[in-house]
Amino acid sequence: MENLFLQPVDLTKLLYVLLLVAVITVVFALLIVLVSKVCAVKVDEKEEAVKENLAGANCGGCGYAGCADFAKALAEGKAELSACGPTPNENKAKIAEILGVEFVAGEEKFAVVACSGGINAKNKYDYVGNEGCSAQIAFIGGQKFCEDGCLGGGSCMTACPYNAIHVKDGVAYTDRSMCEACGVCVKKCPKGLVHLIPKSAHVYIACSSHCKGKTVMDMCKKGCIGCGLCAKNCPHGAITMVDNVAVIDYSKCNGCLTCVAKCPRKCIKEI
Amino acid sequence: MDFLVILSTMISALFINNFVVSQFLGICPFLGVSKDTKSAFGMGVAVTFVMTLTCLITYPIYTYILVPLGLEFLEIIVFIFIIAAIVQMIEMALKKFSPTLYNAMGIYLPLITTNCAVLGVAELVIDHEQMAGLIGLANASQMNMGYAVLYGLFAGLGFTLAIVIMSGLREKVARLPINKHLKGFPIAMIAACFIAMAFFVFALI
Repeated sequence: MENLFLQPVDLTKLLYVLLLVAVITVVFALLIVLVSKVCAVKVDEKEEAVKENLAGANCGGCGYAGCADFAKALAEGKAELSACGPTPNENKAKIAEILGVEFVAGEEKFAVVACSGGINAKNKYDYVGNEGCSAQIAFIGGQKFCEDGCLGGGSCMTACPYNAIHVKDGVAYTDRSMCEACGVCVKKCPKGLVHLIPKSAHVYIACSSHCKGKTVMDMCKKGCIGCGLCAKNCPHGAITMVDNVAVIDYSKCNGCLTCVAKCPRKCIKEI
Repeated sequence: MDFLVILSTMISALFINNFVVSQFLGICPFLGVSKDTKSAFGMGVAVTFVMTLTCLITYPIYTYILVPLGLEFLEIIVFIFIIAAIVQMIEMALKKFSPTLYNAMGIYLPLITTNCAVLGVAELVIDHEQMAGLIGLANASQMNMGYAVLYGLFAGLGFTLAIVIMSGLREKVARLPINKHLKGFPIAMIAACFIAMAFFVFALI
């Protein structure tokens, strides 16, 4: 093998190397500058500024392909700022300033699953097959007797970009600390069981069944039977019974937890 | 150019010496962008495009500039530089002249800049001895730029073929009830292994 270190320095070759690299560098640099001048595309400054203030999570909760797409729609006035969950309020205020619109601070929210059935709810049949709620629902409306029950197929879990939903005992649960209120799961759930509620909320109703009490009793151990005890006992009148299921008005609730204690089915849950 | 050699170049680049599954180049996009068929196909088209252009530009630069000057050892640094510059320029040109195409493959283009499959094809086509063996030329001196560009094009198409098969498999596998520990990436690796084994059959015949 040749000794690389003891060879005489070939100055002409070294010169060639330097020249060649320099020429290629300069030529391509000039070419790139030329191309970028010729192909300059006008970038909307407003759009860029909006994009910088968005959360940048690209979760798709707003219904656009990502934050860049949403920023474009915002700049063109096609989208509402409130469609975005993850962006914090102070950034939203900045964006509103850039866009020149009035900013109304929306309440920070998070998602809850309004069902506590799962293994407590009776099955019509044992489902074996493709994962995901939409596949299961094609089979006579899913395996649960309850029409408004969580199927436990985990469609919301796989859709959640923040890993904030888990299926436990056949029913989906949300993790309050991880949830960014993007709303992807709300759109994904075929039964419409996931709701966004204010972050300041103290309780939520973990059932969506509109059936009569007797029917719910037969189908599920945890479902709301529409007895109305919570509505009668709430000291602030925050709970009303709508179509056999309790509904909370969060603007009136102050978190006394009377309803949690009174509910005979334990389907009002403390957060 | 001989018709038979052209045919064997196609078959060699597409199946026998497929860049991903036989030469193991370009594995990162193969595993990273193969979750759904649509984006896999976009990536494949972008790679094909860049590979063909790379061969078209690096081959004459090597043959007519580096070899006469005796500077063959500079090939890698020059090739990387040229590929990066080309990709940059293509991206800008696409943005201006074809926003639709830019939206379809724009995000994949910067990823390709440092892709080993692209550098691999540029390095391979300048090696006349090896290329003659690969595409079935009787004599290494018969190798020319036409074959180089053709090989680049079909190597890119071979990459597209592999990544589309992979994404199709992964889409199917994602819907199957799979053991928790194998879900996601592990099963994708196993699927890739089976594709590579299937392509190995081409090397045997």
